[in-house]
Amino acid sequence: MAEIYIICVEDEPQVLDVIIRDLSALEEVFPIEVAHSADEARVLIREIREDGNHIGLALCDHVMPGDKGVDLMIEMQQDAFTEKTRKVLLTGQAGLEETIEAINNARLNRYIAKPWTPEQLVKVAVDELTTYVIEQEKDLLQYMGVLDQARLQEAIRNKGYI
Amino acid sequence: MTKKKPSVPIEDRKPNVIGATAKPLYDKGTFIVTIKEMLPDSELLGNLRKTFQKGDVLLRENDHNKYLYIILEGNVEQVKTGEDVNTVIGRHGPGDFIGLLSFQTGEAVFTTARASSEVLTLQFDHQSFELFMSRYPQISKTLQGLIFSNLADRYRRVVVLHVEVATLSKELETERNQLKNTIKELERTRNALITQEKMATLGELTSGLAHEINNPASALLRSVDYLIATLPAMAERAGALPDTGLVKYFFKAGLERDFSDTALQRAKMKKLAGDYPDLGRTKVRVMAEMSDPVLEKLKPFARDPKNQALMQLLLDAYQSGVFMNGIRLSTQRIEYLVKSLKSYIRHSGKEAEETDLRQGIKETLLIIGNRLKDIKVELDLPQIPSVNCFVGEMNQVWTNLIINACDAMEEKGKLFISCGENAEQKKVWVKIADTGPGVPNRIKKRIFDSSFTTKTAGGDFGLGIGLAISKSIIEKHHGTIEVKDHEGGGAEFVITLPSTDDK
Repeated sequence: MAEIYIICVEDEPQVLDVIIRDLSALEEVFPIEVAHSADEARVLIREIREDGNHIGLALCDHVMPGDKGVDLMIEMQQDAFTEKTRKVLLTGQAGLEETIEAINNARLNRYIAKPWTPEQLVKVAVDELTTYVIEQEKDLLQYMGVLDQARLQEAIRNKGYI
Repeated sequence: MTKKKPSVPIEDRKPNVIGATAKPLYDKGTFIVTIKEMLPDSELLGNLRKTFQKGDVLLRENDHNKYLYIILEGNVEQVKTGEDVNTVIGRHGPGDFIGLLSFQTGEAVFTTARASSEVLTLQFDHQSFELFMSRYPQISKTLQGLIFSNLADRYRRVVVLHVEVATLSKELETERNQLKNTIKELERTRNALITQEKMATLGELTSGLAHEINNPASALLRSVDYLIATLPAMAERAGALPDTGLVKYFFKAGLERDFSDTALQRAKMKKLAGDYPDLGRTKVRVMAEMSDPVLEKLKPFARDPKNQALMQLLLDAYQSGVFMNGIRLSTQRIEYLVKSLKSYIRHSGKEAEETDLRQGIKETLLIIGNRLKDIKVELDLPQIPSVNCFVGEMNQVWTNLIINACDAMEEKGKLFISCGENAEQKKVWVKIADTGPGVPNRIKKRIFDSSFTTKTAGGDFGLGIGLAISKSIIEKHHGTIEVKDHEGGGAEFVITLPSTDDK
């Protein structure tokens, strides 16, 4: 069965460590993969696609060497494979202009300012993944354990079947 | 500025303070007519006739005077010699007296009298004056009246002049105050501009610092959270086991973890996940990070389902090491940033100090490092003699030039910074060059003007007067700043500063 991945793009190893740590509760259902730059992320996205899997959530730092997080997200928005991926910008510094660009062109779903709290990060990830699975998946029951139960139940009722 | 009143010659102004409405005691015209009628028949008067050509001097300032002139025809100017100007202080016509005071009092002539046209006068000396008075008593009374009228006129004029001087002083004072205010206003505007530019630089620095500090701060906070959650459990588990030194070993391995390429990491993870299908991804991820010798030590526990508690303990020990290292690195980075910032903002106002310019350049690069992520910085900074300077101000120059270079390159390219000395001239130089579009020749001269900017309004940070400020700072340090074309394209700014004598 195809898996739904969470990908994290962040150039600082120490920051990446804690992101993975904070999201570890989701990991058994949504495998986490990481990249240190937009270039690495492109390779990662290709691999996930080639393995026949999907990307449910992309968490992306903005200020990185090479292409910026917003650039990567715009690219993902334009690619059919990652168009539906929920996109969250994670950054300590993005000018207003870049934020506007991200919202307009990358359909950025969330913006998390550094430093964040684990609860914040997990809540955003859960919210976004819930939206993703409701839109994309048929069998929602399997996500009850980790995602937003109330919203999933409502979605199941609306669909009229399990 | 106040609107200037059209200037009216003093002699034409009516003395409106006193006697504005007073009629002259005696009428000059009648007097002249009477005298002229008497002339043909009077030998005395006929002998007193004296004519002057235009420009002739009747009386010269500071001379002694024996004559009293009555003008019958033509005009005479009274001229006073001042320190560096000659001022016409009055014009006289028919019926007026010239030399009245010096003639009567015997004092030196006060103002020069010069004919401004052909002038016909009666020239009296004391003897002829007495004679005239006794021979023509009928008009001597008129003459006396005219003399008094003349004196009264002079008195009025003095009063008017006093008032005039007071008015002018007041006007001058007002204008001076206005000038003072204008200068103050200009100074305020200039200071506001400089402050605005400083604030913009500060804005750049702050947003850079926010990013630079937020990353390690996030890592720090979260690492501590993790350790708080993990350490007590670890201690309990470890307490239940015999001391094998393994916990310490894995902790240390975590401390020394090396980050490798994420694609390699993923390949390793996939292989491990295949080898150990029972382990969850979280565990496999940590295992994939381990170096081969460390992994070998873990493998016996990983295979054995009964040893999962110990396995978890070792993974936790490893992870704790990783986070401890994260804490150490993050703290070091924040400490380093704060240290650099402190030395960066050591402010002017105090005294200039002997400084190694390279220090400030390196600190500036560190603090605005977030702007340099895609820019390759090539440094060629050999030892140079120190310079006596205000460190904070010089840092502002480096910041301005480096940020300008980044803007010019649109954040992608190479930045070259080099320095050197000119021992003969006791000078040191710093070059900051970029691979941007360069500065066109036609604007090279103007880029240091405060009114010149290429930045569009409402656009970027700052007003674009950074170069003007940089120039004034460099000049304050008795140095020069110039812009050239960098070899192979781009702009090159060369700063030359006098070095301190002793190395």
